[in-house]
Parts: sequence; structure tokens; C-alpha cells
Amino acid sequence: MPDLLAVQAAFAAALRDRDAVADATACLAGDPALAARRLAIYRANVAATSARALGAAYPVARQIVGDEFFDALARAYLAAHPSTSGDLHEFGAAFADFVAVFPHTRALPYLPDLARLEWAVHRAYGAADATPVEPAALAAVPPGRQAALRLHLADGTTVVESVHPVRRLWEIHQPGFDGEFGVDWTVAQSALVAREGLRVTVTALSAGEAAFVRAVLAGAGFGDAAASALGVQPDADLGGLIGRILSAGLLAGLSHEDS
Amino acid sequence: MTMSPATAVGIGLRQPHYREAFERRPALGFVEVHSENFFHEGGASLHALERAREAWAVSLHGVGLSLASADALAQGHLARLKRLVDRIEPALVSEHLCWGGVGGTHFNDLLPFPYHRESLALLVERVDRVQETLGRRILVENLSAYVEFRDSEMTETAFLAELARRSGCGLLLDVNNLYVNAANFGFDAEARLAELPGDAIGEIHLAGHHVGEDGLVDTHDARVAPAVWALYASACRRFGPRPTLIEWDAQLPALDVLLDEAARAAAIVGGAPAGEGGDA
Repeated sequence: MPDLLAVQAAFAAALRDRDAVADATACLAGDPALAARRLAIYRANVAATSARALGAAYPVARQIVGDEFFDALARAYLAAHPSTSGDLHEFGAAFADFVAVFPHTRALPYLPDLARLEWAVHRAYGAADATPVEPAALAAVPPGRQAALRLHLADGTTVVESVHPVRRLWEIHQPGFDGEFGVDWTVAQSALVAREGLRVTVTALSAGEAAFVRAVLAGAGFGDAAASALGVQPDADLGGLIGRILSAGLLAGLSHEDS
Repeated sequence: MTMSPATAVGIGLRQPHYREAFERRPALGFVEVHSENFFHEGGASLHALERAREAWAVSLHGVGLSLASADALAQGHLARLKRLVDRIEPALVSEHLCWGGVGGTHFNDLLPFPYHRESLALLVERVDRVQETLGRRILVENLSAYVEFRDSEMTETAFLAELARRSGCGLLLDVNNLYVNAANFGFDAEARLAELPGDAIGEIHLAGHHVGEDGLVDTHDARVAPAVWALYASACRRFGPRPTLIEWDAQLPALDVLLDEAARAAAIVGGAPAGEGGDA
């Protein structure tokens, strides 16, 4: 009697490849031809489930490429990056890297960064709820301690930097968007993805602001983060950015580099 | 909210119905959700589930634990289930008698396996560990299936009866799944009901299926079929009333259609004799 692992490995092979059903049907009762057709029901279920999960994580990419192309893309993605979790919300983490090298999406150079933005939104949706720090706590830090100050941003906060207008593309594909649909394709856009309360927000960041938030998320102190921002963009308005972070409730904690 | 009567009838609560369900607060015995949809650390989904918890008893129904996989039990998955159970304190927690992945990859589907002594020993050990981790009894659901295995030494229902006896778990009887399998494999569904220990059954599922070229497919996208209602009525007569759920996962209709199906189930389960008891 083949052990459970052998049976499941044969079943798994038959789900991955319609031409690899012989080992599976050898384990199955009844007419092998009918069993092979019944295995196809499972194969179709797996394809449909994974395409639905991927489409839920990447709704804008799905709209841009169309349902039919997206389903084919999902099948190719599934073959290259099968799910590794019983929780389908984890599925699709490598989609941006996949579409960057997949031959049939090379004509859409903005798609990888757009996918990165969508994955950031997907992750922010279920991020831990944050308890914002009172602005007064930040104001109370003595000037001599400011450079070593570490800002801890709410879970789910991410920076997505792109040479393409990905934030604009994301915006015009949102449900209920009723503004102008024009896109200036020459614009490089960075976005701050965050959870404000229960709502996921995608807001604009200048190049310097993006560098600042990226450094903060990497654990840099305020002084180093500001230096990297001003190195990219000497006129970056970091005071304004801090104000936005505070009013959005994204500052979840404060500490010092030396403590 | 807690679920008390065995005649409680609920519906699967899905995201497109949240707003209307929260506004109308229909009188339901309970609502059921897929556990994995609430594995998040925080955010809107969990917030919605906590709102639902204020209105109705909640049942957590897992689709991804992969109890019967030859791979080791996914500890991270179980830990997230425990976190959710601790947070929501659901009336019921259930899983499927299936595997979903092997060799480190997952199909995110409910897959069948051979029912023999080795797989039974594995399932008893797994269910023990899950119940010990969660600190509570779980229900294990019979599966809809399209293939059977040569090596099976017993029926699925006999397997479940033995699993319940040895692990102390309860059973979730999906009447539609039993009906689908009876049609696909040509067995007598009534005879399989007779193999189940009635006092272990803590919940019943009802759903719609699709009649395909190569057999019945468990699609959860339609009203409960007449023959499934008849089998349900028979199960109620045999076992007595049990909390009953209308499951609908694809091509969701208006909330009222689910409530109409629930009312139909309530009329049947409400008229069931006391039966073999049970602890739900």
C-alpha cells in the first residue's frame, strides 16, 4: 500500500499537470478515464480559486489587463509560484517580480511597480491596529535629542517608489472614481501606503519624502533619515511630512537610537 | 452572543452582505465565516467580525488547516487560528476532513485521501493537537469528493465515527456533501447516515450543488436541491435537531435568498423530534 505521502504526491502532480495523472489514477478506485476527468474538476477549482485570490489582491492590475488575460496570468503565476499557505491572503507575494520578467507583460513596464503598490495595499488592509502617539509627545523631545529620535510608524505603512505614475493609475481604477482619467506617463510617482484607522490610504510622496520614510522604516534615526531625504531633494518639506504622519495617526511609537 | 438551541439556523456571512446584515440584523441563530478570512493582525475584516459577534453567535469554519496532509501540521496556521478563537470566542469551531497541500505547496482546496488505519491514526493525533492548542472541542466535516481511493478500508462516515470516538471531536455533517458523494460514487446516503454517531454531530451544513457531465460538483452557488432537503429532513428525524447552516460562497444572491433558505431549514429542524440528543 503506498503511504499517504506517496498518494498525496501523485495527486498533487496530477493537479499541477493534466498530463501527469497516471500515478494518481493508479491510486483511485473505479474507471481510470472517469477518475482522470474527475481530477480535472479539482484542477479547475484550484485554478479558479487562485485566480480569484490573486484578483482580490491585485484588482487594478486585473482591470488594466482584463479578466481573460489576468486569469491566464494567474495560471502562469500559480505554476511558477505555487501557494505555500493555507491562508490565501498570503498568495501573490511574488506577483510584481513575476510580471517584471513574464514575456507577455513586458509591454507594460509600469505593471511591476503597480503590483508592488497593490500588494502594499493588500498587506496594509490586515495590518495590526495602531494606537497613535500624541503629537505633544513629539513636541516634547528636547532639540538635542531629536537627531537620535526613532519614529515607529503604524504597521502596514510602506513606501512604493516608481519611475511610472503608479499612484495615478491606482487612483483612476478605484471603485467610484469619477474624475478625469488622464495620465501623464512622463511623471515618476512615489506613494505612501498606510492604514488610517480601518481605511487603507495611498497618498503622494515627493522623492525626498519617500527617502525619509524609507529610512525611518529601515530603523534610521531622525537625523540620518532627514539627511538621506535632503540628499535626494534639498527642498524636501519634512516638517510638513511629519505633520501629515501625525494627523493621519501613523506615528505609533517613539524611541531613541541610544536607548 | 451565544448559540443555545439545537434548532438554531444560521447563514454563511460573506463580505458583500455585511452592510445589509448589520443594518437589518436578521434574527439568526448564528452566522458562520471562514476562519482564514480573519487571520489578519487587525483592520476592517476583524472589525466587521467583532460587529457580527455582537449581533449573533459566530461559528468559525476553517478551510486551510490541511489536517490530513502528509506534511507536518502547519504550526503558524494553527497559531493564527488560536489567536482568532481567543479573540472571537466563537460558539463553534470546525475544520474539514481533508488535506490541502503537500511537499510545502498548497492547493487551497479541500482534497480527499484514503480512509485506512494509518490515516485514521494521523487524524486522531492531529485533531488531538488542534483541540489541545485551542483548548476546546472542534467539529470535523465530511467532504464532498469526486474520487475515491483504492486503499480505503472503511467509508468516510465510519472513519469520522472512529475519529470522533478516539479524539473526542464533534462532527459537522454536511448533508449536501453526503448527497453529492452518494451520487458520485453510487452509495446509499441513508445507510451512511446510520454509520454516524448522532451524539457527536454538533452542526449540519446545507448548500447547493451543480450537476455536471462527470458527476455532481459541490459549488455552494445555488439553492439547496430538493433531494438534499429530503436527506436533511431524514437526518433531523434520525439525530434530532442540530444547529444548521446555509452555506453560499459563489455567485452570492441577495441576502433575502439566504434568509429564505434559512427559514426553510428552520421549519424542518424546528419540527424534528428530540432524537439522540447531542451537546450543541
